[in-house]
Amino acid sequence: MNWQVKYALANIAEQGQLTAEYVHGELIRIVTPDQPDVLAAISAANEIDAATAANYQQKYPDMDFLCGYRSACIWRGDAIKYLEDARVGWGSFGTLTSAALDGDANTASHKAYRFSDRLLRQYGPVRDVSREFDRIHRVALRSGTSLRIGMLADYEPTADAVRSLWADFGPLDIVWNINPNGNPSAEAIDAGRELGCEVMKWDQLKEHLRTA
Amino acid sequence: MTAGEIAAHLLGCCGSLEQFDAYMFGSALRGIGADVDILVVGPSGDTLSQLKRELRAAGEFLPLHILYMQPSEERHTEFVTRQKCVALTTLSASAT
Repeated sequence: MNWQVKYALANIAEQGQLTAEYVHGELIRIVTPDQPDVLAAISAANEIDAATAANYQQKYPDMDFLCGYRSACIWRGDAIKYLEDARVGWGSFGTLTSAALDGDANTASHKAYRFSDRLLRQYGPVRDVSREFDRIHRVALRSGTSLRIGMLADYEPTADAVRSLWADFGPLDIVWNINPNGNPSAEAIDAGRELGCEVMKWDQLKEHLRTA
Repeated sequence: MTAGEIAAHLLGCCGSLEQFDAYMFGSALRGIGADVDILVVGPSGDTLSQLKRELRAAGEFLPLHILYMQPSEERHTEFVTRQKCVALTTLSASAT
């Protein structure tokens, strides 16, 4: 059994509300008292693209959810589209356990970015959103302006978090600290300025999108 | 692996950690949790890039969740005190 499957089973056992059993390969079955069973593949990949997602679906055709067990796992936009079209939920281990309890494993998306993704799509001045990665969105505004926005879910983003986002995903116009609590450090804001982007919270971003 | 064994593993595999202050925090200290939370405090630049490469290799079979802070960020947030972080060197010593 792979290390990440062992961790997932051990952590579900600790939670009490759920039980889980090993099926085969990277597949586990999660059982909740009042919801349908969930078949989840637990991946140790650092990055998941459409080919990886398709490979998992081919291997486990009954899979309800694909879990990127590493907290640093990156999901490419093509993988997200592939899985959503195939009615397979996707995201972190925390997303998986919440989805199993809520009974929506087939439609769940990474909970760190779910709310912010929706917020962007529903905001009036936004005409179109293209999701390049789980945390990187290209936003076309009704004004004609286009912005590349990176999301940081950290409570207090650091300078390294800003620099790493830029280094890993390329140039950004805005780094959006999507955690409603906490604030980016002064060093993080300075790091953004040095790179040529602004680090901001939703209230500032809203105003920026309205006036850009 | 216990917290002490993970600390010993990381210190053994990542020579660059000597140039940083490294800690574990959160539920992994009690041997539970989905992730192993690690805090690394020190300089940015090439040394940090090298350390990241070493930690990535050392964490191939571990769910490491690593937070990197500059010393000024740690001082400002008092993260080590607030989160009751324990130095990897302390954990490693207790494992032997």
